[in-house]
Amino acid sequence: MGSERAGIVRVAPDDIVVTAKKDEYILSALNRSGYGYRTGCRRGGCGICKADLLEGTVTYPVTVADEVLSPTEIADGVCLPCRAVPHGNVVVQLRDDRIRCTSSFLASLAARESRERTT
Amino acid sequence: MSVTRLGYMHARVTDLAEAKRHYCDTLGLRITLEEPGKLYLKAWDEFDHHSVVLEEGGVGMVKMGYKVETDEDLSTYENAAREFGCVTERMTKGENPEVGDGVRIVLPSGHLLELYSQMTCIGTDVGIHNPEVFPRHLVGVGVPRVDHCLLTTSDVQTTERFFIEALGFYPTERLQTTLEDDAHLIGTWLSTSNTVHDIAFIEGPDNKLHHWAFELGDWSAIGRAGSIFAMDDVSVDVGPTQHGITRGGTIYFFDPAGNRNEVFSGGYVAYRDRPAVTWTVDDLAKGIFYVQREVNERFTSVLT
Repeated sequence: MGSERAGIVRVAPDDIVVTAKKDEYILSALNRSGYGYRTGCRRGGCGICKADLLEGTVTYPVTVADEVLSPTEIADGVCLPCRAVPHGNVVVQLRDDRIRCTSSFLASLAARESRERTT
Repeated sequence: MSVTRLGYMHARVTDLAEAKRHYCDTLGLRITLEEPGKLYLKAWDEFDHHSVVLEEGGVGMVKMGYKVETDEDLSTYENAAREFGCVTERMTKGENPEVGDGVRIVLPSGHLLELYSQMTCIGTDVGIHNPEVFPRHLVGVGVPRVDHCLLTTSDVQTTERFFIEALGFYPTERLQTTLEDDAHLIGTWLSTSNTVHDIAFIEGPDNKLHHWAFELGDWSAIGRAGSIFAMDDVSVDVGPTQHGITRGGTIYFFDPAGNRNEVFSGGYVAYRDRPAVTWTVDDLAKGIFYVQREVNERFTSVLT
C-alpha cells in the first residue's frame, strides 16, 4: 500500500507531531501533513531547510553534497529534512524558523489517519 | 566582432544517473559524449556538440562558455579583459572536448568564463535541408536550446561595466534602488544579440549560480512543461508565470541536485539602440514575478 509507517516526526519546540511513511523524507511528511517552514530547492542543494536532529537517526537515500551538509555537521547532529528519511521516531528542531500549519485541512486529515492507525 | 551567445553551462550534480533522468528524460536533452563522471549534452535545435556539461560531485556551477564570432575575437577580448584588470589564461583545443582554442576569464563576479570560437558542429535534429519544424519524437519537454543564465555578484556595477566595456554587451533592463543619480545598481540584464538577455546578474554572493534557462516557444509550451514536471516529480520553484523584467514566460525549477533551471519563453526583441528599461526596488516583486507580484524567500536565498 506504500503507507507503511516508518516513524513519528516531532518538531521542537512547537511539539508538532506527524507520521512519516516508509522511505518518506521528513520534509515530505511535514508537507503532506499540512505543515511547512522556510525551505529552498527541496533537493538537497541549498541547505535552507537544515535542522538539528535532537533525537533518533536518519539516513540519506540520495547523495547530498558535502558542501551543503558536511560530515562534521552530520556528526554534530545536523540534518537536511528534504533528503533525510527517519529510521524510527525522530525529533528535529528548526533553525531561525518556526513550523507553521500551511493547511489546516491537510493537518486534520493527517491527524485523523494517524488516530485511526493507532486505534 | 562579437560574443554571440551562451554556448555551454558546466554544472556539478550530486548524482549523475539522477541528473541524466532530469536533463534527458524530463527536459529532452541528448547525450553527445560520456566520460567517467561527466556527461555532455545538447538540445535538439542546437548545432554545436554540447550546451550542457554535467560533472558528478557537489552542486553548483563550474564554468560557462560563450561563443565568439571569429578566432581574432579571442585576442581582442583577452586584451580587453586584461585591461579591465581581470585574470585571463589561454585554453587550447581539446581541453574541453570538441571545443577549440579559447580564453578563460575570471569575471569581477568570481565566475569562470570561457570564450571560444569553434566547437564541433554536429547539426540539429532536423538538419538544414528542407527541415521539419520540430523532431517527431521529442522526449519530455523537448527544449530546443539553452538561452541565458542569471548569476550573483557582490558588485553588480563593476560586473555590468565589464560586460559592456570589455565584451560589448548592452543592458536591456536594470534594477536599481531609486531613479536618482546616486542610485545603487541591484541587477542588470545584458544582451549581446537580439534576445532580451544573454546573461544577467543580481546582487548576492560572488561566484554563485541563480539559474540557467532553456528556451521554449510560447506560453502553451511553458504550460506543457509544467505538466511534464508534475509527471516527473520535479521540484518547481515558481510558475508558470510571467516576468515583468524581459516579459518572458517562465517556470523556475530545480534539478535533482538542487541547481535551479528555468524554461523561458518570449521576451521582446532587443537591439543596441533600444533604451534600457529601469526597474526600481519598490516594484521589484512585479518585475520578477509579474502576475503574483510577490518575491518568495527562495528567489534570493537559494543559490548553488
